[in-house]
Amino acid sequence: MASVQLHGLTKWYGKRRGIEDVTLDIADQEFITIFGPAGAGKTTTLNLIAGIVAPNGGGIRIGGRDVDGLEPADRNVAMVFESYALYPQMTVFENMAFPLRSPKHRTSASELDERVRRYAKVMKIDHLLKRSIQALSNGQRQRTALGRALVRQPDLFLLDEPLSHLDAKLRHSMRAELKEMRSQLGTTTVYVTHDYLEAMSLGDRIAVINQGRIQQVGTPKEVYFMPASVEVAQLFGDPEINVIDARVKSKPGGLRGLQVLGENVPVGVPADVVLNGAETVKVGVRPSDIDVVETNSAANFHGLVYSFEPLGTKSVLTIDAVDGTRIRALLDGHRTFDVDRRIQFRIDPYSLVFFDVERGRFLAKSKLKGEEARDG
Amino acid sequence: MNESVSFFGLVGRVSKTVLLLVYALFALFPLLWMIIMSLKPDSQMFTTTFIFSPTMENYGAVFLRSDYSHFFFNNLIVSVSAVLLSLVVGVPAAYALARFQFKLKEDIAFTILSFRFAPEILVILPLFLIYQKTGLYDTYFGLIWVYQLITLPLLIWILRGYFEDISPDIEAAAQLDGYSWWQVFLKVLLPLVKPGLVAAGLLCFIFAWNAFTFPLLLSDARAQTSTVVALRFLASDTVHYGQVAAAATISALPEVILALLIQKHLVRGLSFGAVKG
Amino acid sequence: MAELTLRALTKIYNAGTPAAVAELNLEIRDGEFIALLGPSGCGKSTTLRMVAGLETVTSGEIVIGKKVVNQTHPKDRGVGLAFENYALYPPLRVRDNLAFNLKAHGVSGQEIDKRVAEIAQYVHIGDLLDLKPAALSSGQKQRVNMARAMIRRPAVLLLDEPLSHLDARLRVQMRTEIKRLHAEQRFTTIIVTHDQLEAMALANRIAVLNDGKLQQFDTPLEVFNHPANEFVAGFLGEPPMNIFEVTLNSDRHLIVPGTDFALPLNDKLQRLLGSRARTKLGVRPWGVKVNSTASGSSVPGTVSVVENLGDETHVGVRYGEILLMASVPVTDRFKPGSKVQLTFNQDDLNLFDTETGDRL
Repeated sequence: MASVQLHGLTKWYGKRRGIEDVTLDIADQEFITIFGPAGAGKTTTLNLIAGIVAPNGGGIRIGGRDVDGLEPADRNVAMVFESYALYPQMTVFENMAFPLRSPKHRTSASELDERVRRYAKVMKIDHLLKRSIQALSNGQRQRTALGRALVRQPDLFLLDEPLSHLDAKLRHSMRAELKEMRSQLGTTTVYVTHDYLEAMSLGDRIAVINQGRIQQVGTPKEVYFMPASVEVAQLFGDPEINVIDARVKSKPGGLRGLQVLGENVPVGVPADVVLNGAETVKVGVRPSDIDVVETNSAANFHGLVYSFEPLGTKSVLTIDAVDGTRIRALLDGHRTFDVDRRIQFRIDPYSLVFFDVERGRFLAKSKLKGEEARDG
Repeated sequence: MNESVSFFGLVGRVSKTVLLLVYALFALFPLLWMIIMSLKPDSQMFTTTFIFSPTMENYGAVFLRSDYSHFFFNNLIVSVSAVLLSLVVGVPAAYALARFQFKLKEDIAFTILSFRFAPEILVILPLFLIYQKTGLYDTYFGLIWVYQLITLPLLIWILRGYFEDISPDIEAAAQLDGYSWWQVFLKVLLPLVKPGLVAAGLLCFIFAWNAFTFPLLLSDARAQTSTVVALRFLASDTVHYGQVAAAATISALPEVILALLIQKHLVRGLSFGAVKG
Repeated sequence: MAELTLRALTKIYNAGTPAAVAELNLEIRDGEFIALLGPSGCGKSTTLRMVAGLETVTSGEIVIGKKVVNQTHPKDRGVGLAFENYALYPPLRVRDNLAFNLKAHGVSGQEIDKRVAEIAQYVHIGDLLDLKPAALSSGQKQRVNMARAMIRRPAVLLLDEPLSHLDARLRVQMRTEIKRLHAEQRFTTIIVTHDQLEAMALANRIAVLNDGKLQQFDTPLEVFNHPANEFVAGFLGEPPMNIFEVTLNSDRHLIVPGTDFALPLNDKLQRLLGSRARTKLGVRPWGVKVNSTASGSSVPGTVSVVENLGDETHVGVRYGEILLMASVPVTDRFKPGSKVQLTFNQDDLNLFDTETGDRL
């Protein structure tokens, strides 16, 4: 069990910046995900915590003590690599036993046997113990890598994109299983991924990292509903959030209206949204919050269907709005649309996320209705 | 895999095989001739047909009535030691070139390889003088050391490829598992490069065994090797071609046997440095 | 633009080994967009290559228009192939890459310029025409790749995993572009992909392949809602369908032995089940309703895992080895350990034969 503190962590690779000024406070037994696109600096961060590489600046504390200069072998940290890094010539059993045979662990033969078998059972590979690594499927290799980390009962788990090389079906089921296991594990875990579903499902908190810098740290809800910037908002959600320009118009009685998409459809800015007098803003609309309607109304926007993509349970509709802006809506799978058809749609103002125009930083979001309103 | 070249068909395959056979015959003929020569008595040495009465007379002369075996033994000592020394020095060097980043890395690597490009004749004169002056002339140590020019570059380049093929994650995983770097090297890395070690080691042995110029000019009665000595049979009043052939055949035997035994490892080891995947 | 018919198309690489493509029969209409969908090794790329003429056919026929093209040289078949790895000629500008093919066919310089301008407009690469491939991003290379395949106005357009090397964001954008392009140009198109979302989004009909054999050939919604067998059912749909084995007990319930899972048989299920004692039950996560209170045919369970994913929530209930996943409205509030009752949408229940995998 250990808490982890990263402060001001910086790593350069020659002229290329790996990460810069990364500060993160991870509580004991917390499961935190580090999320970001490829090349953001996630694996670098893990490697620094594990001690595989040394930082250029900043420090790391594990379990309250400064680990600067401490060898990986002495940090009591277990890591599951993206490539699994299993020992090729050994069997599953030997791979899982290898850490326990190291001078750091000194486990008796009977205890070693018991522990390997116990965790093999947890990972459901106990029937594969005698199999050579070369003969395993991808999913089985991944479970072996996880088992090898578990067997050590370390202070800290580091997981580097463990699901990325599995096929879609396996990824979904392993994700759910990992979440199930998480409560049994009880060990501080840092989980790195570029898949936002994994980040949201598994983490108590998510640290969003992009281009080597932390963009936001928060619970999955906070990051999804109150993203710190347009960039962060675009990283979560498939299809990604629509970000469109809007003008704020003051109306009598202290009310405000939004003008978007080149039309004069009345969209009221919710009363609790604080904009500090900004006249132009960017608004983020999630595809699932765009409603395509069949009946006429003054509250409807107009558009042409650019493309219709059925995905099974849902469908993606790409719409060309009146002013040429292209937005995407996520609709129920039973509806179909022809290309170039005229449609009408609505936007729920309470679901809008407001960003400032200059730097795309988060301004406000209404808490009056919807998901977040039910939170404490 | 692509059968669209089907119009080559039977004719193509047969002519391919015929061409290969012709070439094989062409390449192997000298070897065959040498063996035949070694079995011919002096009187029949210059016959042009393949009809002769084979005799072991030449082998007897070489082994029993000359000091050939002493030189055979020399070659063995020098070649094996040279390979061992190259292993001890070359394996860490190969690892360093595979894993670490440092200034002029590729230049250094290429320089090491370039030792193989230079013909030995080019450097033999200065070496001869140095060896004379330093007392290394005609010693095992002197030969073993100069043989490094032959064996070391080869070994480093082959093993570098093998080390590069091992994911650095595996070393990191073993370190995290609690092993020191040295233990990781011995317990995890060496077993993984074993095929490379075998291939490189045996290949280097073959090249060391075959060395001619260095032992010819840098050694004499004490340390000289059997490749050179085979020529001695020429330098007397009557040339015993049969004995020369016998000596040469015996000299060629170890490497031919080794090469046959490890031929599949050889191909892998040789092409490893070349093909990056 | 032309129809494409594959008759008993078979490819065997080495005699004695299983066929890479086995007796494939497909009839593709003029202007249709077909996806060859399946896991790696299922034979989809091999089929595409046979249509292009890059692989020989072991047996069967490929018919483009009315002509059997088995013996026809690739360049005369009227197909345009967009390679998986772009394969653009590095020293040539985009404009020349596009023109290369046409020049080889002796098309006049004037006509070439016209067609290059035309295709650049459709595919939105007008401002890239004078650049070289090295200066292009992956997405741009992919568009040039496709433009090159289309510039000859092929009878059949072949796309070999065009989106697999793009990052997620670009993939979604290109998917929309390809869909739009097809809506405008109506080339007869075959796309090869292992990504079922791609196939669903783009194709008029999907041919699902596994182990060289055709599993089902139908519209996306049909393949999704009425899968022919267990393989198709499990392959299409994200999150994937729950598929697990159940046995019929003496109480006329379908149960998972050793757990609380017991689904009472109704007429429809009984009819489908026939005389079987075991079957595989398949239900998509959206077809599983999670309630707090019991009702007539509800199945009791305890929530094992909850995933809050922004615009949807997944709830998992464990029955022994099986983790049954349900997609529930985001407003629902369940916690691990909550006792729940599951009901299933009758239309969403599928039964599969345990031996053949066929849907009952």
